[in-house]
Amino acid sequence: MAIPETRLPSDDLINQLSGTSPDSALGQLRAQRPDIIRYAEGNYRALLEPQDLAGVSRIERELIALRVATLTASQPLAEWHRTRLRELGVGAAEIAAVAGADIALLSPRQQGIIRHVDRVSQVPATSTAAHLAELTAAGLSPRDIVIIAQLTAFLSFQVRTLIGLRLLAEDL
Amino acid sequence: MSTPLRRQFTLDIVKWNPWVATVDEIEATPEQLALVDQIATNPIGRPYYALLAHEPQVLSERTALMKATMYSQGGATRAERELAAVATSRANGCVHCASIHARLYAQLTKDDLTIQRLLDEGLQIPLPERERAIVDYAARLSLSPHELSAADLAPLRQAGLSDLAILDLTHVIGMFNWANQLYLSLGEVEPEDHTNP
Repeated sequence: MAIPETRLPSDDLINQLSGTSPDSALGQLRAQRPDIIRYAEGNYRALLEPQDLAGVSRIERELIALRVATLTASQPLAEWHRTRLRELGVGAAEIAAVAGADIALLSPRQQGIIRHVDRVSQVPATSTAAHLAELTAAGLSPRDIVIIAQLTAFLSFQVRTLIGLRLLAEDL
Repeated sequence: MSTPLRRQFTLDIVKWNPWVATVDEIEATPEQLALVDQIATNPIGRPYYALLAHEPQVLSERTALMKATMYSQGGATRAERELAAVATSRANGCVHCASIHARLYAQLTKDDLTIQRLLDEGLQIPLPERERAIVDYAARLSLSPHELSAADLAPLRQAGLSDLAILDLTHVIGMFNWANQLYLSLGEVEPEDHTNP
């Protein structure tokens, strides 16, 4: 899938989502860590927009990302993924369900994935082997399970990076 | 928040076992196996990378990001980054990650006692100003990220940490929330008897 036009190649997603201009003090601070910028972007592409989706669709990937962004009250990140979901043809009711508490509108498979994402991102130490057995029973392969964990955990990284940048922006 | 611990925090080496099959146990491509061989330099750490190699592009990108996070020049010191990694892992309940990075911190600082006490007793132990500020930032950004305000940076600044050092620590805390979530949700550490001969 092509990179959305709204994402400029000269400006990475974290700069865009944090409202950081490359010329600002914060933009110049970030530029001192070019490998972080490069590989954070690389992970985003590999997790959200890979060539080979395996058993986790583009829509499911965006739903997972929106869920983590919502749980952590990360508004720009949530808005970014709501926009991607609208572009993918997902209806407003389904998007609202993922962004709210009532996920009953979603398919049983998607509800299972969302409950898993909630646990991994909020209370990871409560995980058990039985949780992965449930995903396996719902038809997910080991590869799909790894993708969902990586995507959830990547979003947890992205959320915390964005918060740190917001604090620094207020304080530079 | 309840965080049932499967094993006490420890400076000892702990073995982690995945709950689903790794590429070593199913039909893997030569590229997947080569990637695991390259990244997993220690046999005890191999199952984790062999699990993540189900999705090799992500494993490659993530490994490069982790290296940049922990080893870039300037900014936060190596020991400060390891301390942030331990504090994040202790806060999230990841015995495996805490063990690896507590050993690295002890090697860098020659201070086994402080990090042992932090593992045993928790993040509230008495610490010098700079270490206290790093541990508090790691715990807050890990457990209640959306509650932070610019005031949370004040102790880091008072302790003399630069903007670049704070950015580095932010990346470390983010990366270890990522790592903790993988280790905690995809497998578990072995009970003590199997790893402490």
